[in-house]
Amino acid sequence: MFCVNCGTPLLDGQNFCRNCGSPVKHPAAAAAPPSPLRATVAQPPLPAQVRNAAPVATGRCNWCGADAAGGQSSCPRCGAALNVTVPLAESGWTQMPARKDMTKLQIGNSSCQIEGIYVPVADMNLAAGDSVYFTHHVLLWKEPQVNVTTMPLKGGWKRLFGGLPLIMTQAEGPGHIAFSKDDPGELIPLSLQPGHSVDVREHMLLAATSNVAYDWFQTHIWFETQNGDDTETHYPVGCFMDRFSSSNTPGLLLLHAGGNVFVRQLAAGQTILIQATSLVFKDPTVQMQLHFEHPASSFITWKPWNNRYLWLRLTGPGRVAIQSVFERIEAGSSEMKRWSAATSARW
Amino acid sequence: MMETAPSPAVEPFERIQCQWCQSMNEKSALACHACGAPLDIRNLVSESGWREAPRIRDMTEIQFNSSTCQVEGEIVPAAEINLGANDSIFFEHHVMLWKEERVAMSVMSLSGGLKRAFAGMPFIISVATGPGRIAFSRDATGELVVLPLHPGMELDVREHAFLLSSHQIDYSFVRVKGLSNILFGGQGMYMDRFVTTGAPGLLILHGYGNVFERRLQLGESIMVEPGAFLYKDSSVTLNVEFQKLGAGFFGGTTMSLARMTGPGRVGIQSMYVHHHTE
Repeated sequence: MFCVNCGTPLLDGQNFCRNCGSPVKHPAAAAAPPSPLRATVAQPPLPAQVRNAAPVATGRCNWCGADAAGGQSSCPRCGAALNVTVPLAESGWTQMPARKDMTKLQIGNSSCQIEGIYVPVADMNLAAGDSVYFTHHVLLWKEPQVNVTTMPLKGGWKRLFGGLPLIMTQAEGPGHIAFSKDDPGELIPLSLQPGHSVDVREHMLLAATSNVAYDWFQTHIWFETQNGDDTETHYPVGCFMDRFSSSNTPGLLLLHAGGNVFVRQLAAGQTILIQATSLVFKDPTVQMQLHFEHPASSFITWKPWNNRYLWLRLTGPGRVAIQSVFERIEAGSSEMKRWSAATSARW
Repeated sequence: MMETAPSPAVEPFERIQCQWCQSMNEKSALACHACGAPLDIRNLVSESGWREAPRIRDMTEIQFNSSTCQVEGEIVPAAEINLGANDSIFFEHHVMLWKEERVAMSVMSLSGGLKRAFAGMPFIISVATGPGRIAFSRDATGELVVLPLHPGMELDVREHAFLLSSHQIDYSFVRVKGLSNILFGGQGMYMDRFVTTGAPGLLILHGYGNVFERRLQLGESIMVEPGAFLYKDSSVTLNVEFQKLGAGFFGGTTMSLARMTGPGRVGIQSMYVHHHTE
């Protein structure tokens, strides 16, 4: 094998070119190019859809679909309270299920307790040999015997370029380790069943069990603005998106989103317009593109782009989640030179 | 003649008055239909006289015109509006969270709006017209303050604090004098002014942290950190006063406080915008 950038011969197992530092595309990774369409094949049935009138009687968690017979008050897999109905807005968005403080989730021999309401903490009790990975700045505390090491990432150089964490940290049991983020919001435990994948916007990850594969792909959602001689490229959902997949054994993914989190299931071909920065996660089957909306206006400004809304248009089928806190895209109202594929509407 | 016992037919007319917005509700209602305040929880008033804004229960529905508003979430609540056909609301566009594609959008032209720049853009108010659904939320922890405005009301609101307003309400803005050198790098502070004339309207604000309200008597005053001011009846006057925090020969600093003088309501937020002292 040779480096695709500079042509230097590569050694086996090398992740970066020793001459120019370019990340090495291994055949395994190259065989599965990160395309949003990839996971459409062999997607197992989606978890039981959430309904506001789905009581406990079914013996299933109405959030993640886990079997929950046996009188527990919380789902052992995702922590959703089982003896309450899930609030479903009339518009089709569901809130994250109510979670009792101190709810415990079971993942193999390890467990995770979720503590607190405003800025929840994920407190993992790792069994010997079990491990989780995380970005180091979410570590809240750990017991001394928990061994923390760095996890090598393929393509790390490209990630640094995109402003994403270069180093993933891995913690191995036995022992306790706890994670939290620094703003009020909700902790989202996603239990990934074998064969499932989920696409997550960058910086949302709190921790994941080591059997969850971590990959990323380019979002191809961008626009370019020009200010004098400066051209700037903006990525409203990030240049990259994380994709987490579970292959053989079920894994646990812990995300943290700002404010409240709402989830909905889009039918095939159904669309919804959301603020790009409010996206939390989506099924790989959900397609994204930019959408410009021009409101009807009785006055003419000399800068028509001042008067335009920038949306992210999501098309089903699949599940999407948004957070109620989102950053404002200041550049969204600047003059744009070029942009990725987009639809538009004019009133 | 003997007095007869009240006939059962009278009972359906029994009503509960909402203590937040004074609307009348059916006896069986758990939350006020006009402002969403829980009706089965008593007023929470501190000994000093501040009343906590009602904590709206998750998924509460509020009715206005031919539309409904559902309040979702309790950390950073989102207001989700189901607009009736031809009913409309207005808002600042950066608070939109999501919408259905069919909701028609337009903008309201405002005199002076081009001068009042916000984040480098001219200040433009957007209008959404039904039918369809559209949702709004702001960028930090807080609560929604639902203020149904009765005809003939006039309310002043801190800039950018309003989430949405129904179309019957007249909107304008005024610049607060005296704050020009302290706040926002010399730009001054604007207050949004909402006025109802003949028809009632609905105004929804988002306050950072918790929101408290008190009713000032005629001539009664309270000093408020300017960054905490959220809304007031326009009958309440706002004057900025400076207080020198002396440090002998060494100058010291000046603290500014807003003196609010009644009669009328004053609303404050507990997580306030901090302004540097001079």
